[in-house]
Amino acid sequence: EDVGSAVARVGAVWLALVLALIVLPSALGVSLGISEAYMWVLVKTLEWATIRIEKGVKKPRPQMLKTPTANGIIERDETPMEKEIARLHRVDFEFSDIFYFCRKGFEAIVEDEVTQRFSSEELVSWNLLTRTNVNFHYISLRLTVVWVIGVIVRYCFLLPLRFTLAAIGITSMIVGTTMVGQLPNSSVKNYLSEVVHLTCSRILVRALSGTIHYHNKENKPRKGGICVANHTSPIDTIILTNDGCYAMVGQVHGGLMGVIQRATVKACPHVWFERSEIKDRHLVTKRLREHVADKSKLPILIFPEGTCINNTSVMMFKKGSFEIGGTIYPVAIKYDPQFGDAFWNSSKYNIVSYLLRIMTSWAIVCNVWYMPPMVRKEGEDAVQFANRVKSAIALQGGLTELPWDGGLKRAKVKDTFKEEQQKNYSKMLVRNGSVG
Amino acid sequence: GSLGAHPPSPLSLPPTVTSEQIEHLHRRFKQLSRDQLTIRKENFDSIPDLEFNPIRGKIIHAFFDKRRNLRQESDGLADEINFEDFLTIMSYFRPIEMNMDEEQLDRFRKEKLKFLFHMYDSDHDGKITLQEYRNVVEELLSGNPHLEKESVRSIADGAMMEAASICVGQMGPDQVYEGITFEDFLKMWQGIDIETKMHVRFLNMETIAHCY
Repeated sequence: EDVGSAVARVGAVWLALVLALIVLPSALGVSLGISEAYMWVLVKTLEWATIRIEKGVKKPRPQMLKTPTANGIIERDETPMEKEIARLHRVDFEFSDIFYFCRKGFEAIVEDEVTQRFSSEELVSWNLLTRTNVNFHYISLRLTVVWVIGVIVRYCFLLPLRFTLAAIGITSMIVGTTMVGQLPNSSVKNYLSEVVHLTCSRILVRALSGTIHYHNKENKPRKGGICVANHTSPIDTIILTNDGCYAMVGQVHGGLMGVIQRATVKACPHVWFERSEIKDRHLVTKRLREHVADKSKLPILIFPEGTCINNTSVMMFKKGSFEIGGTIYPVAIKYDPQFGDAFWNSSKYNIVSYLLRIMTSWAIVCNVWYMPPMVRKEGEDAVQFANRVKSAIALQGGLTELPWDGGLKRAKVKDTFKEEQQKNYSKMLVRNGSVG
Repeated sequence: GSLGAHPPSPLSLPPTVTSEQIEHLHRRFKQLSRDQLTIRKENFDSIPDLEFNPIRGKIIHAFFDKRRNLRQESDGLADEINFEDFLTIMSYFRPIEMNMDEEQLDRFRKEKLKFLFHMYDSDHDGKITLQEYRNVVEELLSGNPHLEKESVRSIADGAMMEAASICVGQMGPDQVYEGITFEDFLKMWQGIDIETKMHVRFLNMETIAHCY
């Protein structure tokens, strides 16, 4: 009986602390500096760990580069096809041409640009998480001890804390929006809805130990506009709603997600589509256009890539988002992989194991850049506009730009792409006057 | 099943392939095979970059060719290859090492040229005939619908004539050129540096921190 009441008291104290130190400041939009202190300790520990790893290496090493692994492991000869084949045109043109295609084929087999983007970014140094320990082996007792302490801290302290916060956040979101949804439409209702959404987002971000740096806040998306961002994980949404209110766009889901969707749409005009409606592109565009035309409505949030990419590159932006019209507010999101891998590899992990991984990482650190608004120019079609926005986002976020469709994660290359290179090659041969 | 924590040690490979490169290739193998122990032809379909390649069929064929490239005793095509076979084929594309002597260099070069020869010689009779050569040119030019079959043939024929003149010299009026043998093929490439055109070079692996 004594043990029971002691446990209950400890539980109550803990809950009170959580509410006071985390939930309340979230509601008020105030920071107590606990996250900052945690991050400082974390950074110092990881720096120490890196130094110990470097000391453990016996042979002298060249200076460590910061970004080689993200872009490939083999050296690609970037000489264009024409030059390289011209160089070999001494004996017989076709005999030598096969070299070029042979080598390109082997390079593709060793590593290709696209498949690489769907596995997590490799780290240059170990961040004390087992899951990133691919290249690193046992180094020293001290480091192993620190790692064990890390495991205990992450699983026994951080995970329950984060789980509690997430539960509080989601529950308050559902309850709060349902309550606000009862009110008649008015400016008071909109204000309260914003407060509820912001508070819950803040709680959820703290549930992930998220440290987000927002840049260029003056470019924040305005009402009646469309916010467009690159996609790495389902968390992207929370990252953005932490700092502003958006009307979400998406498919209606079942389960917990569906409950959240139904509750929030009462308070704020989010755009949820039934599965059958999604297939009808015109219907989708029409509804979004109506939303955007109403200047009093919140900006809509869209991820044009259509799927999660591993945050080293930006893939093709689907043109649908860019046919709606209106002003586009591009946003670039770049996660720092040192503290936790935010990328969701949906073919490898389901959503629950993904969230578990996120909650047992050190933290989620990312940078968000708000960029100046863009509009479609005269004579520019949707695809060109989409590419222009994509380039801008890739440039800002320091990501490489790829013309590939994110759908390649699951499907094959379209036939129209296949013939391109062969057409180029044969055009070249014909041009060289080899056709008699 | 899973491939286990470490790849098999390649005793048969020369020391020019480092263990880090092998680890990378191993990871790539696992990715292509979807964590199985062997790769089949269909697994190469998952490489978008390879779709472009006009001689894609020949390259994939080379991986499964038992006698020629896998150095096995029997003929024909294997259904599936394991990691060791994969490495054997990849070793044809390893770069030259600085400390190779004349004999090693010569053997190295012959190996690469032999690999290429087998890409042309599809019936494996040791000769590249005019028809086989035409097939290759057709494949290389298959993407262009505007190029007529006749033009493709004349390109192929012209090339074969040039090859014949290098290999056999002046031919009599009723002499028939049967095909390019491997010796003739070597003759064609004498003095021309192909080693740098036929290798895949790994970036400096030391930038990834590792400790032993």
